[in-house]
Amino acid sequence: MKKKVVAALLASVMVMSLTACGSSGSSGGAASAPASEAPASEAPAQSEAAPASEAAAEGEAAADTAASGGDLNGDGKIIVGYISKNTTDVFHATLNGAAEERLDSLVADGTIDEWTGILDGNTDAAKQCDLAQDCINYPCDYVIILPAESTASDPAVTSMADAGIGVIVVNSATDSTDSAAMAFAGSDDVYAGELMGNYVMEHVEGGGTFVHCQGIIGNSAQIQRGEGIANTIEKDSGWTKAADVPCDWDASKAVNTVDDYLAQYGDDLKAVICDNDDMSSAAQAECNAKGREDIVCIGVDGNQGPLQMVKEGTLGATVLQDGAGQVNAGIDAIVASIKGETVEKKIIVPFVLVTPDNVDEYLK
Amino acid sequence: MSEKKKFYQTDEFRMFMGKYGIGVILIFMIFVIAVMKPRFIYPSNILNVLTQISVNCLIAYGMCLAITTGGIDLSVGPQLALVSVLLGQFIVVRNMNIGLSIILALAATTLFGFINGVLIAKFNMAAFVVTLATQLVIRSIAQIISDGKGMSMASQAFKDIYSGTLIGVPLPIIYMVVISVIMYIVMHWTKFGRYVFAVGGNVNAAIASGVDVFWTKALCYTISGLLAGIAGVIFTSKTGSAQSNIGVAYETDAVAACVLGGTSFAGGISTAPGVLLGAVIIGCIYNGMNFLNIGSYYQYMTKGIIIIFAVLLDMVINKKNR
Repeated sequence: MKKKVVAALLASVMVMSLTACGSSGSSGGAASAPASEAPASEAPAQSEAAPASEAAAEGEAAADTAASGGDLNGDGKIIVGYISKNTTDVFHATLNGAAEERLDSLVADGTIDEWTGILDGNTDAAKQCDLAQDCINYPCDYVIILPAESTASDPAVTSMADAGIGVIVVNSATDSTDSAAMAFAGSDDVYAGELMGNYVMEHVEGGGTFVHCQGIIGNSAQIQRGEGIANTIEKDSGWTKAADVPCDWDASKAVNTVDDYLAQYGDDLKAVICDNDDMSSAAQAECNAKGREDIVCIGVDGNQGPLQMVKEGTLGATVLQDGAGQVNAGIDAIVASIKGETVEKKIIVPFVLVTPDNVDEYLK
Repeated sequence: MSEKKKFYQTDEFRMFMGKYGIGVILIFMIFVIAVMKPRFIYPSNILNVLTQISVNCLIAYGMCLAITTGGIDLSVGPQLALVSVLLGQFIVVRNMNIGLSIILALAATTLFGFINGVLIAKFNMAAFVVTLATQLVIRSIAQIISDGKGMSMASQAFKDIYSGTLIGVPLPIIYMVVISVIMYIVMHWTKFGRYVFAVGGNVNAAIASGVDVFWTKALCYTISGLLAGIAGVIFTSKTGSAQSNIGVAYETDAVAACVLGGTSFAGGISTAPGVLLGAVIIGCIYNGMNFLNIGSYYQYMTKGIIIIFAVLLDMVINKKNR
């Protein structure tokens, strides 16, 4: 008897799921229809050059009820998705933490109805594409995405934009961010490279030889920071670059590089410029340990470890990438869109040179 | 009164659970998630989950063959990368026909699968060690070919391999269904399939019965290479980018799908539908946890615990049946 009951239960569930599958053509279309219709009024504004999805629709939005301002898919709820790059990296932990705090407070004050929690992109573009589909089905009205790759994560951005979601790309842009996304909030990595180059030139008298520890080759941050270095110190006749060394953002590889080039250049080595400050802080620690406190090491990010070293005076300076500022700028864009205000298409959050003078502002 | 058994103690129930236990777990899971978040079983999301699992499912079939013969194939992740960069070279750089490019790229992964098989079967080396080593070799070859750089695969025809649909069903699901049917036939209806189970179950008995152990094992890894290659084509089409850093740790989800589907690490026990169910469960776990707002820090733990419980349950039930 029991077996029959279980079998009947099984069968009914199967039939239910079958009908669900079978009707996908029609009911799936129906389900997504409101999603595609609702933003239709706003769509022209979104796809055209107009910076904000709702900027042009402001007039109409005023006629609508206040609640429907950010309800792009018309299901009566404003839901925000958050696709992280990963949940392991120190820098991204800062961004994710800032997002969590801010989005929780937006839920608490009723600006948005719910958010998805931090979805783990696992530094895997394909995983981010899957998460984008999850967000479409959730269904989210706005999604913040921190792309893992500039090209490979692009389908995630475009598929969500095609589904009528307001996509906010944060930290680094994908190939079609300019055309598909509602807004981009990030920093100009070329400027970060220039900050580093200028800092070294100012703080080392008479020039000399420097070595450049690179991030993973092909990352946009690696390419652009290298560009900034090329724009400044590499043009200076007083300085020679020993080499660009691929160190994969990895502190231990930067330490090995320092050892190699110290052995090779000895006292001529005056500076180590790194694409991130995990590497520069480790490089500086290695130089200090070898009695070469005079070598200037500098990197980008503003992680807590390097900031602590700046505070202690063992590291001269580091370039802070304001990750929390980027995320908050992205969330500001969503809030502005919900309120029907103009959303800036490209929000550049400046890098900050952190020295012992201002380190207390950023050290937690 | 003593002969009156509870329903879960009856032979019928145990037989049923032995065969379909994992399916019952899946349905229970779907039911729970759907009650908490009805949109989980909307048709669009079901298609979404099935599309997402296609890559893992194909890899898992190959993995299942390897595990069934008593081995494992850790080289599948880099195989994805190899296919991806080869497609980039053929289609973007050399401007070759897409179909031909895919065939050539698949030939490469199939060859590496065969090399795995030969090393394992001919020289009797441990599969774990062999594929751990070839994993490094293949990853390196992919990086050498691509020079470590990503390449955009903008061709719409190529992107349609993933994003296209057939009568409303996304193509990746179609590939998965076709390959599932083929794998079912290969594993359960052919002589080769019986040889695979024989080799994995008791290799000496298999030799005594005249089974060609070398070719059986070699073919298993060759098929695994081919399937990983097909998964790589889908993967590359999905991201629209040819790069050498993809597929890292993809073997873990494939192994998880296999063990959830009742594949025994002792060898000789597995079913094709089980692997499919395992892959669906993994997909439901990922998608469902996101729908239920389970924080990402808890997701891996949840996944680990579900796998342990599912396999434990499966073992407890099946032990009593055998």
